Amino acid sequence: MLRGLAKSFDGKVAVGGVDLDVPAGSFYGLLGPNGAGKTTTLSMAVGLLRPDHGQAWVLGHDVWRDPIQAKRLFGVLPDGVRLFDRLSGAELLAYHGLLRGMDPAVVDQRARELLDVLALADAGNTLVVDYSAGMKKKIGLACALLHAPRLLVLDEPFEAVDPVAAALIRDILQRYVAGGGTVIFSSHVMAVVERLCTHVAILADGVIKRVGTLAEVTGERSLEDVFVEVVGGRTATGEELAWL
Amino acid sequence: MALTGQATQATEVAAAPRAVSPRHFVRLKLRIMGNSFRGQVWRVVLFSFGILFGLIYATAGFFAAAAAGLAGNTDAAFLVAAAGGGVVALSWTLLPLLFFGVDETIDPSRFALLPLPRRTLVVGLLTAALIGVPAAATLIATAGLVLSAGALGGAGAAVVQALGVLLGLVFCVAVSRAVTSAFANLLRSRRTRDLAAVLLAVSAALIGPLQIAINRASTNTDWRRFLPLSEVIGWTPFGAPYTAGFEAAAGHWLAALAKLALVVAAIAVLLWWWSRTIETAMVGTASLGPAARQGTPGAPVDQLFPRILRWARRDRFGAILAREVRYWWRDARRRSNLITFAVAALFVSAMVNFGEAIWGTEAGEPARDVAASPLTFTLSMIFVGTLAAVTLANQFGFDGSAYANDIIAGVPGRTQIAARAAAFTVYVLPLVVLIAVIIGVLVGEPTWIPMALGTLVGTFGCGLAANSMLSVIGAYALPETSNPFALNTGAGMARGLLSILSMVIGVVLAVPLLLGALFAGDVWLWVALPVGLAYGAGAAWLGSVIVGDVLDRRMPELLLTITPRR
Repeated sequence: MLRGLAKSFDGKVAVGGVDLDVPAGSFYGLLGPNGAGKTTTLSMAVGLLRPDHGQAWVLGHDVWRDPIQAKRLFGVLPDGVRLFDRLSGAELLAYHGLLRGMDPAVVDQRARELLDVLALADAGNTLVVDYSAGMKKKIGLACALLHAPRLLVLDEPFEAVDPVAAALIRDILQRYVAGGGTVIFSSHVMAVVERLCTHVAILADGVIKRVGTLAEVTGERSLEDVFVEVVGGRTATGEELAWL
Repeated sequence: MALTGQATQATEVAAAPRAVSPRHFVRLKLRIMGNSFRGQVWRVVLFSFGILFGLIYATAGFFAAAAAGLAGNTDAAFLVAAAGGGVVALSWTLLPLLFFGVDETIDPSRFALLPLPRRTLVVGLLTAALIGVPAAATLIATAGLVLSAGALGGAGAAVVQALGVLLGLVFCVAVSRAVTSAFANLLRSRRTRDLAAVLLAVSAALIGPLQIAINRASTNTDWRRFLPLSEVIGWTPFGAPYTAGFEAAAGHWLAALAKLALVVAAIAVLLWWWSRTIETAMVGTASLGPAARQGTPGAPVDQLFPRILRWARRDRFGAILAREVRYWWRDARRRSNLITFAVAALFVSAMVNFGEAIWGTEAGEPARDVAASPLTFTLSMIFVGTLAAVTLANQFGFDGSAYANDIIAGVPGRTQIAARAAAFTVYVLPLVVLIAVIIGVLVGEPTWIPMALGTLVGTFGCGLAANSMLSVIGAYALPETSNPFALNTGAGMARGLLSILSMVIGVVLAVPLLLGALFAGDVWLWVALPVGLAYGAGAAWLGSVIVGDVLDRRMPELLLTITPRR
């Protein structure tokens, strides 16, 4: 669905030509070390960052040529992007629902359900800005799910989330995929990716290094070993830091 | 890096950490400024413009300050020092709150985790704040007073005055920091509502006495009458540093010393106050808005819409409208802009209309009780109308990266622009009606109120169109700090230029209304309201269509410019 996406900032290449096919109904993990270009790639795929080259399609709709149709089909949980956090959780969901052109009655019903399931109903009228990091992730996920999209694009959905909330999010995502939805998410938490994903791609230095189903990429070894081997870099200290 | 200074002192114990001196803060600031210019041509250009303007003002100020003393006129020199210096110091106190914000290149809260004594931190921050175009311009301009004092009282007076000028600069910077910091704390808290009410009430209450005072003052045009007043100003911290040298020149050495001591004491108090507010800000940055509110149960959609918007459609337009209305009040930065506008608009329109009392009586005729003409009245209303819309010149900058949510949802540009303009109008329209009525009544011409309203709405509509356009093509990022007055390096200049540009465009668009006031005669008094309403609404609608289409093409680029770099 992504073809030759490339972006450079001030002459520095952030993403240099990414091709990625995410099959419908798959649970896709985009792996990569910090600064690999995961967020840049996903931003270009959902229409937040204009690519220098390349195209992105969602179920046959070009994100950059036909944005209205394409954006209707996916829900996004961006990372490093603030929510409209001077609203309470319920207000934020209502805002997103109406923004998606949904019927107010449906918005009310779904928003209540999401708040209950994600254990955010207790927060009441607390503004999202005063939520904890994990709660912010959860309300962001709720915003992405509200209009029942066919594709979910999640940037670091498990970062800063406690184990209980992580388990809850995993459960929701698994049910969503079982129901015919497609998920692509970025992460560098190997355990989660290994447990959830049907497909993985490893991104480093703005280029896809490995791609395929989980079994194809890992083979006999653990995902962490493959990742470290592909990405490179040291994993143990030597003589230095003796003063610690 | 900046924190590895080479200050090797002989007495230093090997294990003890090296002392952090203000030098480190200065180098840190210069380094950050330098880095922020990297690859940002427009920033360099803006900064150069800033230096140019600063130089022009500084040179003009320098000669104005030096002239009276060089001419040998003791009284005039004293008056210039007290009044001019006082105005400079007062501008440092008030202008950051109203228009320019404070340069927060070095954000105090970044030092929260470093083991720095409070004194080191405050002195360092103050020293770093002294680096900058406004401070340099002030120093050059006030340095003219040294020449003036020297010409009147010889080398001794010049030295005292030089000390005074330096202390005056420190006082100016300290007072601007302390006041914005304290004000920021106030705006963050729940007491803001009360604060806004108090500010409005005070400024409204001031208009009456001010009018009388100006009328009285203008009956006597001899400037020497202001000497006792300048004597008083000279004994406040605002005027003291600038008049010390003239006391010395007159032989009052004790008075000169006392004045210098007064300034030093004032600076010490300000720094103590500032350090207190910095500490509160550092500790309490977690909660920016009012904490958990009570009540308003009900359906989520109904919760989103404030009570005054019950009538709004529950669709995209309505959603953005409702969120923006909530944001203008809940976001401290936007709220401070709204309050500032309300105060400034009331004040300026009052000053312009009663200004006739000051300037119009030089021929010696007694001042009338009210002195306003339809022309100045219309002009002041045009000013208020355009000033209102200037608040929107960086409306997307307020959102920061949160605007990404609207892009992902695929909101059409026209809806976005129109809903934002409508939300702002919800606040401005009542204010504008209030201003028209108050000024109309105070001027003593209630029949002018419809004309005032028409002009205000017309110019406001034009301003909406112009500023929506600027907000899309001239947006800039605001830092994510707790201080609503904070700006990034160079952004102060950008903000100033944008405001001026948008006001000029707004006024140009409003020219037909001015022509109406000039040539349509008495008919205008009654036609102005419908014409203004139609003109303003038409301009705003046309603007939302044109700007909306521009926005449709530029959404990702806009997001990039308003996302703060971290």
